[in-house]
Amino acid sequence: MTKGLTRRGLLRTAGASLLGVGAASFPMPGLIRSARAADTVKLGCLFSSSGAMANVEGRLTSVVRMAAEELNAGGGVMGSMIEVVGTDPASDWPLYAQLGRQLIEQDQVAALFGCWTSVSRKSVLPVVEQSDALLYYPLHFEGEENSKNVVYLNSPPSSSVLPAVEYLMGPDGGEAKRFFMLGSDYVWPRTINQQLKGYWASKGIPETDWREEYVPVGHSNFQTLINQIREFADQPGGQPVVILTVVGNSIPDFFREFANQGISALDVPVLGLDALEADFEGLDTAALAGHLNCWAYLQSAAGPGNDKFKAAWAKHVADTGVPYRGDVAIDPMVSVYDGVHLWALAAEKAGSFAVPEVRAASPSVSFACPSGYEVSMMADSTYVKRGVFIGSLNETQGFDTLWQSEGTPDPVAFSPYMQG
Amino acid sequence: MLLIRLLTFLACLGASPAFAERAALSAALCAPSVAAKAEALRALAEAGALGGAAEAAWAQTLVVAVEARSFRCATGGAFIGEGDAALDAATLAPSPAPIDAAEMPINNRIRAAAASAAAALTLFTDVDPAARVEATTTLERRREALSLSILDAALAVETDASVLALLKPLRARMMLVDLAPENRIRAIEAIAADATLRNRTMISEALATEPDATVQAAGAAAMERIDRLIVIGKGLSTLYSGLSYASVLLLAALGLAIIFGLMGVINLAQGEFIMIGAYAAWFVQNAVRAVMPGLIDWYLIIALPMSFLAAALVGVVMEALVLRRLYDRPLMTLLATWAVSLLLINLVRVTIGTQNLEFHQPFYVVGGIHVVGDFIVTLNRLFAIAIAGLAFVGVVLVLRYTTFGLNMRAVAQNRAMAGAAGIDARRTDRMAIALGSGLAGLAGVALAPLYNVNPNMGTGFIVDSFMVVVLGGVGSLLGAVIASFGIGQINVIIEPLYGAVAAKVVVLLLVIAFIQRRPEGLFAPKGRR
Repeated sequence: MTKGLTRRGLLRTAGASLLGVGAASFPMPGLIRSARAADTVKLGCLFSSSGAMANVEGRLTSVVRMAAEELNAGGGVMGSMIEVVGTDPASDWPLYAQLGRQLIEQDQVAALFGCWTSVSRKSVLPVVEQSDALLYYPLHFEGEENSKNVVYLNSPPSSSVLPAVEYLMGPDGGEAKRFFMLGSDYVWPRTINQQLKGYWASKGIPETDWREEYVPVGHSNFQTLINQIREFADQPGGQPVVILTVVGNSIPDFFREFANQGISALDVPVLGLDALEADFEGLDTAALAGHLNCWAYLQSAAGPGNDKFKAAWAKHVADTGVPYRGDVAIDPMVSVYDGVHLWALAAEKAGSFAVPEVRAASPSVSFACPSGYEVSMMADSTYVKRGVFIGSLNETQGFDTLWQSEGTPDPVAFSPYMQG
Repeated sequence: MLLIRLLTFLACLGASPAFAERAALSAALCAPSVAAKAEALRALAEAGALGGAAEAAWAQTLVVAVEARSFRCATGGAFIGEGDAALDAATLAPSPAPIDAAEMPINNRIRAAAASAAAALTLFTDVDPAARVEATTTLERRREALSLSILDAALAVETDASVLALLKPLRARMMLVDLAPENRIRAIEAIAADATLRNRTMISEALATEPDATVQAAGAAAMERIDRLIVIGKGLSTLYSGLSYASVLLLAALGLAIIFGLMGVINLAQGEFIMIGAYAAWFVQNAVRAVMPGLIDWYLIIALPMSFLAAALVGVVMEALVLRRLYDRPLMTLLATWAVSLLLINLVRVTIGTQNLEFHQPFYVVGGIHVVGDFIVTLNRLFAIAIAGLAFVGVVLVLRYTTFGLNMRAVAQNRAMAGAAGIDARRTDRMAIALGSGLAGLAGVALAPLYNVNPNMGTGFIVDSFMVVVLGGVGSLLGAVIASFGIGQINVIIEPLYGAVAAKVVVLLLVIAFIQRRPEGLFAPKGRR
């Protein structure tokens, strides 16, 4: 075997695999043609299609494309066609910042749509603030942040987590008295749990009635933790519940073990704050029926707007052949869909794609969200007002609407229950 | 229309004297509050249980409809089913539901009451004793709609010994609040027969308001007994968790140990071979479903050889195209196999997608068996342990008792000398790669009921399995087994004490400290390195 042959062999393989990676992760044309053509406007996406978050996060890029196609079919925004530039930050938090900068500076995108976990948003935040760009963030999150460069499309805890916890503590929810908090170890779960502890303390619930545990992001072996949960639940003191803030692929892993260890939602309900229809795609949910979640949209939301959205998504999946299920719609998909439309409406209203103008026009536009609520941005913050749903997992991997809010409550950016 | 309704109403009234009562019971399910609905289900179960076979069957129909969410409430009464196909809830006669008929919403409280009512009524309606046994076990946990009068009625009509054997202790347990102290003691004994923390809590809560000293003493003794069994259960549970984690580590590391040990090739694509094994199992599942749907429960077993072959094939192709040219440059193989791993991940991503695959879960990987205390043997983990054990025994047998195994050991100990003795070292390498990657394929099948199957699933295993191989001593299978047990046990012992994050850190620190003192690992390889 000669040296030359070896080197060539390596180059060939390396080249082939790099090509494979490149082709899958980045749509090349978006990176090569960076200048903005006269009749197109670019929107950038920062959603991971690989790594721990890929299962749920990856599909959001497709939703942005779908919304852009809808707008383009109607003649674009102010005559400009929307071009969507996708990226793959690979669930690697610093990469979000790097790719975000690339989208803003090289591709000159008019707005960014991106991030799932709060840690990825925190990583992009300095980038968008530095270059005064706009990031539309589609996840419900811990609040405690109000940047003029981020449009918070989803709810802070005041209008998602707290109503759900209140429901669980009320007579219909089983009068929960004791709480086991289990989360992935990063900013969102820790902040949420901090606020919950403040909330419970304000209700006079003693500190001995809750427990807090964290696992590394991507953790998959929940045996000992579920043993701990059972032990906690079987002790005296009243109805226990689990407040689950693990993210990504840890969610199905947790629920699989929970069901296999024979704990029923009727005994210990789990409020999965990041649990979505999509997390249960590979699971048998008959043994899990009754676990809860809370979002600003549920697939089961009634109304013509939702039917239209679901049909559009099913058609988009069928037409483009993207590897996602056409019959599953999740809250962040609807949030990012609202985001594209809110951005387009604001740009139309402002008569410009420039960030300051779009931002100034944003509070004065509203969009009929598929959830059935008319959503709009607050005047004094960049939070979008959304409806609140509490869902209950059913036997067919979907969530039934257990409760929904009358209107769209005003989001509270900075929680009064935050201590220390 | 109204007239017709009125007439049917009157007709039904004439036909069934119980109609008014039935109408009231079914209308109560439409009460606005959740508490009232749960109470209505309880009343329904009692009416069915005490009212004879026909009444029980009717009540059961209603409860099943509530659970299946086909129960509808309207101003004109309650209905089962929709539109023109609807039945009147009281008479079960066809009766088109009015426009305003709304689905009865259910939440966990109603679900629990309905599950309890359905189980109670099954005792009267199901002719199959096995179904009644199952209903009794459900009632052990779900007593929302259960009362002593229902149980007494069930005991009066029950003839099957296996059902009676469960019903009698259940009745004894219900006496925890009885007026007679001896009944309360009997209740405590019956509850303590199943030593779980939940039952201990039940007893301790009852004792808190117990005036009778003899009952107190009996309760204290029962709790002590439960405590002992709980401690045993806890110990076994920790052991089992560790064993199950170790089996996962061993499955991932076994193939790596062979490839790394024999050729010194650091195969970073080993995790992706696991992924390929899992995907092959998925294809087998779909094929079985299409061709022989009757065998669908056994697809995991059918997948074992298929996944082995699929992963082995990919391994052999990788050897032929990449590794063969890089044998004398280990650092290059590291890079090249990493590239192969990225290639495989992305190939699967673009062809099949990033979503978690849906696996049919056959009965032997669902749920668990309650052993002692709160210790539950979860079947999916037992399956992985069994496969890991079989794979290990298989590998040992191959290495010990086959010519190929002999050749492999010879090449691993001294490549040049083995060549001189007439062993085709290259061919042995290829076979070893096939065996090593095939084992990763087996791991894929074993892990499919445990973890999410998606293109990235393999990346999580590679670090852990390297840790096992290095700790165990390069090339030593026994070392790999002991290392996985050690890492598994240490992990589950630390986790409940200091949390999962700390457990990971501590294990890594321990491994570093160990490797520093003993760089060759637990078992030093014999032969030329």
